[in-house]
Amino acid sequence: MRLPDRVTGLFLVGLGAAAAYGGWQLPPVPGQPVGPNVFPLVIGTGLALCGLAIALGIGRSFEEEEHLIPVEGGQPEPPTSKLYGLRALLPPALLLLYVAIAERLGFILTAAMIVYVTSTALGARWKVALPLALLAPIGIHLIFSKLLRVPLPPGVLPMPW
Amino acid sequence: MLNTLSQAFALITTWEVIVAMFAASVYGLVIGSLPGLSATMATALLVPVTFYLSPIAAIATIVAASTMAIFAGDIPGALLRIPGTPASAAYADEAYAMTRKGEAELALGAGVWFSAVGGIAGTLSLMILAPPLAEIALSFSTFEYFWLAFLGLMCATLVARSSPVKAIASMFIGLLVACIGIENPGGVPRFTFGITNLFGGIEPIPALVGVFAVAQVMRAMLTPEPPPIPKRKFGSIMAGQWRLTKKYNWQMTRGNIIGIIIGVLPGAGADMAAWVSYAMSKRFSKEPEKFGTGHVEGLVEAGASNNASIASGWVPSLLFGIPGDTIAAIAIGVLYMKGLNPGPTLFTEKASSMYAIYLMFIIANIIMIPLGIVMIRLASHVLRAPRSTVMPVIMLCCAVGSFAIGNNMFGVVTVATFGIIGYVMEENGYPVAAMVLGIVMGTMIEQSFVTSLIKSDGSVLPFFERPIAAILAAMAIGALIWPVLVWVWRKLRREPAAATASR
Repeated sequence: MRLPDRVTGLFLVGLGAAAAYGGWQLPPVPGQPVGPNVFPLVIGTGLALCGLAIALGIGRSFEEEEHLIPVEGGQPEPPTSKLYGLRALLPPALLLLYVAIAERLGFILTAAMIVYVTSTALGARWKVALPLALLAPIGIHLIFSKLLRVPLPPGVLPMPW
Repeated sequence: MLNTLSQAFALITTWEVIVAMFAASVYGLVIGSLPGLSATMATALLVPVTFYLSPIAAIATIVAASTMAIFAGDIPGALLRIPGTPASAAYADEAYAMTRKGEAELALGAGVWFSAVGGIAGTLSLMILAPPLAEIALSFSTFEYFWLAFLGLMCATLVARSSPVKAIASMFIGLLVACIGIENPGGVPRFTFGITNLFGGIEPIPALVGVFAVAQVMRAMLTPEPPPIPKRKFGSIMAGQWRLTKKYNWQMTRGNIIGIIIGVLPGAGADMAAWVSYAMSKRFSKEPEKFGTGHVEGLVEAGASNNASIASGWVPSLLFGIPGDTIAAIAIGVLYMKGLNPGPTLFTEKASSMYAIYLMFIIANIIMIPLGIVMIRLASHVLRAPRSTVMPVIMLCCAVGSFAIGNNMFGVVTVATFGIIGYVMEENGYPVAAMVLGIVMGTMIEQSFVTSLIKSDGSVLPFFERPIAAILAAMAIGALIWPVLVWVWRKLRREPAAATASR
């Protein structure tokens, strides 16, 4: 997901301009010189200016390259195909899936699925991932639902406590 | 004073507080020692749990977990050359070099001992600095608060180890996020796009969890697993620490002082304290050539420094509601939730709670020594836990924890969204901590800004008229144009050089 500075900078110019415009559209408070419109206007303008500076490469000389510490014996190089980068989107996708189905399916089943998929994606074999997917949701359910009284959706598989 | 102190003792000697503090300590040690899980993440994941605790117990968990996690980051740094938290990154190389020389005990012992000393020094600074500052702060009007918040945001961008322009942009993004909702001077829905869930605004805590925890799981998806730690037996861990304390007395003191100063500055924090102190230690050392070869001097100074900054980071948080670092930002959220609204009056109206916080910091730093030694001895077991078993549990905690904040699935959506935002920003060199500070401080800075403008009838002159406001304004504007000056200076210096070279 590493993008050139020009792209992120121009995106921020757009975002800032949109925010300033959106702020400007807000109704002022009658009889008052400043209302809810001033702050977004200031921030939007500031953001757009920063975006412009970034797109033009101002301030890049300050950036320090991240100091990666090499590990002895070397590390396996991660595959660099384009699709491989999309793996990073798996965690937020699973969280959104949780929002979509947890109410109907219930916490335990949804959580078990999330744990199994995350664990396998991180390289665990089923001998590790399966018991983890069975035990972790029950443990978390015990702590949050029983101890802390967070109402977790029971769904099709309610817990006995 | 004695009366308040005994009240404070009574507050913290309940079973709930003791158990919460012990559990949070163990939790902080484990999370801090696992590479890739930072102290901030440990604290953020703890917030949902604090909902269900009494105010003092809730703050006790935050204090204990953050203190322990910052130290525990030293453990994998020394044993694996992989710092457990960014605050230990500055000296991970040095500590690992000591381990290879067969001095692992000395390196880890120095970590735990000087962390505890630093933590206590930081607490003392909190106790000494906060009350007189509170006196001054009582006379502050919205003008001073505006400049103070502005200065806090600027400090956060100044110390970021990336381009200052990107850091300022991150801060603006955070402020923009804080604009969402109906909590604004006009009480109108702003940037809600008709989504009812956005009317209440974006909660800082799910945003934090997303940026620091989900983004980390996302990164783990793409990076190879760190190697497992070799099994080993440790000798005496505290042996030789007293000798080091006497030998490096001045380095330790300097580390404490720098840690305290950096902690008090809004937006800097343990990471920055460690880097600055390590650099200072090398710069002023009598034997700088030994640095990098497994020399304990830098460890003493930086280890003392990062823990000192944790406690002193609470000074601006408690006084003004301006967080010293991201951990303090979480602490502020918890303080508000528990009715201990930050502000100078806290020191007069809730004095016993204040003393209870001081006491908890001191206790946390004392019990860190025995617990830390146990953790070091168990490290070879804990650190063998593969990432593929830790990260899924973190994911579940993100989902349940963010739901628990408002018993609302929208919290989970927020966490997922901010996970993506945080990941993309970090990948492209935009410091997420600056954005987080923007989100936390946005409402406050807007309120003080707009109220001041209304009071001054739209004129900007009163922003500079009161003496303290004028000083703060000068500092804030100085911080703003400082990078520009440095940039111009570098350009001017380079150009004559280029001209001579081309001749």
